[in-house]
Amino acid sequence: MSIELPTAEPGLSGFIAELLADQQRLQTPAARLAAAWDAGRRGRIADLGPQLIPLTAPRPGEQFAFEVDLDSCTGCKACVAACHSLNGLDENETWRDVGQLVSDDPRHPFVQAVTTSCHHCADPGCLNGCPVLAYEKDPVTGIVRHLDDQCIGCSYCILKCPYDAPKFNAARGIVRKCDLCQDRLSAGEAPACVQACPTYAIRIVSVPVDGAGDGRPTPGFLDAAADYAITRPTTRYLSRRRPVAPLIAADAYALRPEWAHTPLGAMLTLAPMGIACVALAALRGGTDPALARLGWLAGLLGLGASVLHLGQPLRAWRVFLGLRRSWLSREVLGFGLWFLLATVAVVPGVPVPLRRPFALAASVVGLVGLACSVMVYVDTRREFWRWQQTAPRFVLGAAVLGLAAWLAVGPARAILPPALMAAMLLKLAVEVRVLQALDRADPDAPFTAAVRTARLLTGPLRPLFGARLALGLLGGVALPFALMARAVPPSTAWWGLGLLLLGEFAEHRLFFQAVAAPRMPGVVPA
Amino acid sequence: MIPRLRDLLHARQGPMTAELVQRPGEFGLGRVPARLKPAGTVASVCGYCSTGCSLKVHVDAEGGALNLSANPDYPVNTGMACPKGWEALAPLRAPDRATTPLLRDARGRLVPVDWGRAMDVFCARFKAIQARHGAAAVAFLSTGQIVTEEMALLGAVAKFGLGLLHGDGNTRQCMATAATAYKQSFGFDAPPFSYADFEESDVIVLWGSNLCIAHPILWQRVMRNRRRPEIVVVDPRRTETAQAGTRHYALRPKSDLTLLYGLARGLLQRGAIDRSYIAAHTEGFEDFAQFVAAFEPGRVCAETGLSPAEFERFIDLLAGGGRVSLWWTMGVNQGHEATRTAQGLINLALMTGNLGRPGTGPNSITGQCNAMGSRLFSNTTSLLGGHDFLSAADRAKVARVLDLPEARIPRENSLAYDQILEGIAAGRIRGLWVVATNPAHSWIHQGRARDLLARLDFLVVQDMYTSTETARAADLVLPAAGWGEKEGTFINSERRIGLVRKVARPPGQALADFAIFQLVATAWGCGPLFHRWSSPEAVFGLMKELSRGQPCDFTGIRDYAHVEAAGGIQWPLPEGGAGATGEPSDPAATGFGERRLFADGRFFTPSARARFCFDPPRPPPEPPDADYPFVLLTGRGTSSQWHTQSRSAKSAVLRKLYPEAIYVELHPDDARKIGVRAGESVRVRSRRGELVAAAVPTATVAPGQVFLPMHYAATNRLTHWGVDPHSRQPSYKACAVALDRASPAEGSSLS
Repeated sequence: MSIELPTAEPGLSGFIAELLADQQRLQTPAARLAAAWDAGRRGRIADLGPQLIPLTAPRPGEQFAFEVDLDSCTGCKACVAACHSLNGLDENETWRDVGQLVSDDPRHPFVQAVTTSCHHCADPGCLNGCPVLAYEKDPVTGIVRHLDDQCIGCSYCILKCPYDAPKFNAARGIVRKCDLCQDRLSAGEAPACVQACPTYAIRIVSVPVDGAGDGRPTPGFLDAAADYAITRPTTRYLSRRRPVAPLIAADAYALRPEWAHTPLGAMLTLAPMGIACVALAALRGGTDPALARLGWLAGLLGLGASVLHLGQPLRAWRVFLGLRRSWLSREVLGFGLWFLLATVAVVPGVPVPLRRPFALAASVVGLVGLACSVMVYVDTRREFWRWQQTAPRFVLGAAVLGLAAWLAVGPARAILPPALMAAMLLKLAVEVRVLQALDRADPDAPFTAAVRTARLLTGPLRPLFGARLALGLLGGVALPFALMARAVPPSTAWWGLGLLLLGEFAEHRLFFQAVAAPRMPGVVPA
Repeated sequence: MIPRLRDLLHARQGPMTAELVQRPGEFGLGRVPARLKPAGTVASVCGYCSTGCSLKVHVDAEGGALNLSANPDYPVNTGMACPKGWEALAPLRAPDRATTPLLRDARGRLVPVDWGRAMDVFCARFKAIQARHGAAAVAFLSTGQIVTEEMALLGAVAKFGLGLLHGDGNTRQCMATAATAYKQSFGFDAPPFSYADFEESDVIVLWGSNLCIAHPILWQRVMRNRRRPEIVVVDPRRTETAQAGTRHYALRPKSDLTLLYGLARGLLQRGAIDRSYIAAHTEGFEDFAQFVAAFEPGRVCAETGLSPAEFERFIDLLAGGGRVSLWWTMGVNQGHEATRTAQGLINLALMTGNLGRPGTGPNSITGQCNAMGSRLFSNTTSLLGGHDFLSAADRAKVARVLDLPEARIPRENSLAYDQILEGIAAGRIRGLWVVATNPAHSWIHQGRARDLLARLDFLVVQDMYTSTETARAADLVLPAAGWGEKEGTFINSERRIGLVRKVARPPGQALADFAIFQLVATAWGCGPLFHRWSSPEAVFGLMKELSRGQPCDFTGIRDYAHVEAAGGIQWPLPEGGAGATGEPSDPAATGFGERRLFADGRFFTPSARARFCFDPPRPPPEPPDADYPFVLLTGRGTSSQWHTQSRSAKSAVLRKLYPEAIYVELHPDDARKIGVRAGESVRVRSRRGELVAAAVPTATVAPGQVFLPMHYAATNRLTHWGVDPHSRQPSYKACAVALDRASPAEGSSLS
């Protein structure tokens, strides 16, 4: 380490080389350090453990849970960084967040930091929604553990969790999340966040699994977070402070479009179109396979697109495992079975009399699949995705594209253009109705989920929303009207189908982006 | 077969699961990710703030860093760290690290050159400027971010070797006020406290300090106080700390001095002063008592905005007879009358005898990791070791210790940072060497500051990154190794000398600042002058000798190993003197082996008495008016941001923890008045510049005030070029601005 400065000018280049070599030399052999450690006393981490974690396993009816002393949490975020480091997470991966609750009354300023991670819920949404059973709730500790090697990266758990706890790791194509540092706890060590909190605001405690046993909240869960009843989170938030004004999440007014899920948008556009085409062809007697073939092709592309959505498509075969409780499993199986039946119905060489029963069977299965598809979103309990919105969107979307396809493929029927116009107008009415929330909203009140969706559509998503309406009106109303009036040649119907495909794709994009996703309080500006 | 099928169907184990499996880490680490299991650990003091936490770096068999965790065996942080500390290794791996010297070519582009060429150009250009405009036409700007040994070598090479006269540090921007205040009041720049005083206090006054966010680990010490203390927060904003404290006094911006004098008068009136302490250990009290008589409660409340009840309660707390400690940070240090404000706090401690006892003191919490090292050894404002350039005896002592001709030591003081920049404006300073700091982002009135840097004949920037606002303006960039890639010592806020260790290899040709300074000396032709400066530890030995007989005397420290074994060592620690062990038998030591100053009431002034320093309050230089009706406050944004963000923005984890684009906090009533809602764009204008920021309406700022975090480069477009007359520290925290709604298309000015 010690380098004498050369005394003569010619020495400079040699000196540079010497300095560069020395710079790359690390001075500390590990063995010496280990010896130094052995000579020293043990650290305090072990000493801290017992007071911050339970000394015994939970009793029957209890589980482990985070307990956060809000009065001690100052928002320093050491827990986030320590969780990242001590769990060896990827460079941009974090499993813990720190947000804020604020007073909504200017006369009473109040700020409260809130540290949050997985709540290891009594009735975990992630676990219930997972199509491949990649979540387990430990029968003793109640820890909700994610099985990284089982996960197919469908992200449905992220939609199902009202607290934004599971995090998608794009590099690995799977979701990962907090496991309450199960390894550490079982060795009597405090979890990373617990040992890193400078004010000891986070502890692990044993709590009754069912709160008060009747579905009522664990004492102290946050009012500003999503409805407790959805998943029954176990984290306890404690505070002795009594804020004078009601507290809202600091990001209660933030407008953040959600993830667009492009492949899912393509799937939800094309697969229902396929189902509708095959069904309409079947109703027509199955004699002309052109419409059915077009539908089959749409279905193929749609299901293909859905595979692109998965982070680990090669594991997707496991998707049947979740049939008993996951609407996603049911959707995938419904659509998959539909595709098999529809294939038989359209493959050249299948005798014509066989085609119709298969087409009809496919249609029934397809409609069941479509219903499951609706339930995938309804089951997330998000306001925008409630069935009154989702069901008409999905069903009318299928109808619009099926009718438009029929119109394009021919042969023309007089009923088709008015039917298409009716379906399209009805669907647009459903979509625009969402904006009614703005009329009823108090401009100064925190956004409700409905208001947030309406504001997203009229704010950051306005261009896409405008384009969607224009495409729908052009392809689904103006063009069929022109066809009806024979103002344009019949082949123009193909253009109409194209416009409507774009329009429906845009609509599904909006469906994902404009949803108000419940999460724990965040920070402003996001 | 069946189990394998079961595994295939339901993979509860596998390569991805294995990635996160933990194993006992040994070395007191608890469990660590199995793939990051270390072969050993190295304790190193964190390179961000002045708290001086020790980080335990997990290293592989070659001594290279794998990961780190907070060090449980260090008295400062006892196993805790803030997010910046936890992420301290991430900035080393950034893609924009400087890997070779860069020289601006004829077409104005920075192109890679080798060290030999870089040194040729460095010497030729600076020597040419000196030949034409005098030796003092080249100046340097140092930093509080490098180890003390490097600061000392830079100051020595620049002033004794290159013949520069003027050099200052970015510490001018954060703690010059505290240093000046202590120097004037105590006779030496001597923060008297130990962190243990947070735990021993009955009344903790945090004045202009958002401790929770700026120094989270010191807040930990507050929370460990078992005396149920009153925590009084004096800040115009309802900060996180104000929220967490027991009382918050939201005084009007820059009315601090009036409040301090009012409190002093209140204490006098009640007789709640320690007359025997005043008589035995202070001077100038009678004048002070007379002076504060004019600050009667009516005036104080009118000027500060406190209610009479709040004001009286504040006096009650100070008068209550318990141990009162008064802590301050940038809310005090960065003001137009900052030194007197800091001394207002010192005066309160002196008159109540709250000094030299547990849980007391007028205590400056410093900013940068090594601001305290800079205060003693940067060879800028004071001669190495807290000596005086103007004193012949001091010059002789330094020349003797360093074994160099006394004539090499300048006989005049250096210009301060703002005066160096004014020197550029006047054409007297033509060349500048900037080391590990980013004035193009951090200096006040940024438009003018950048214009001045552009006027230089030659600008050298020595930094870890090529991307800092200042490096991009440089004529020559010298690639530096960073924290963790070199060794040396830092001195923290409580005067604790701690060790920084080398645990990573810098990229490419980057060299430790220490090596660069050695190289410069050699290339310049003055290498032999520095034959005693062969390694950081050798320099540590020189620093010890320089400190001998000074208030900061630490000749009792043997070497780095002693520092490491002791868990850091506070100065003073004179050879063979009291306190040399830091053990409980030492009367000044706390249970943590922490020591405070002035237990004997003897100060470093010629009379050994502390002085009462005061001046009448002056109005701030730029009060709001009809054109610019709002007061702009600046400060720390979040605990995951650091200064100009050249390092903290390099961690993906830290980036998640603060807003990417600049935002402005304003009162909801003001937001309504200018017609903006949360998240919408606001234009903030001052007489010097403007920016567009996302609106964050919050009642934590008072009506008529707005707050901008300092970490976004745009903030200093607005600030006002004004300094405290004593400390010459810039006044960042109160200039006049106007607000209006900006169109959404204008967006926020990204950092």
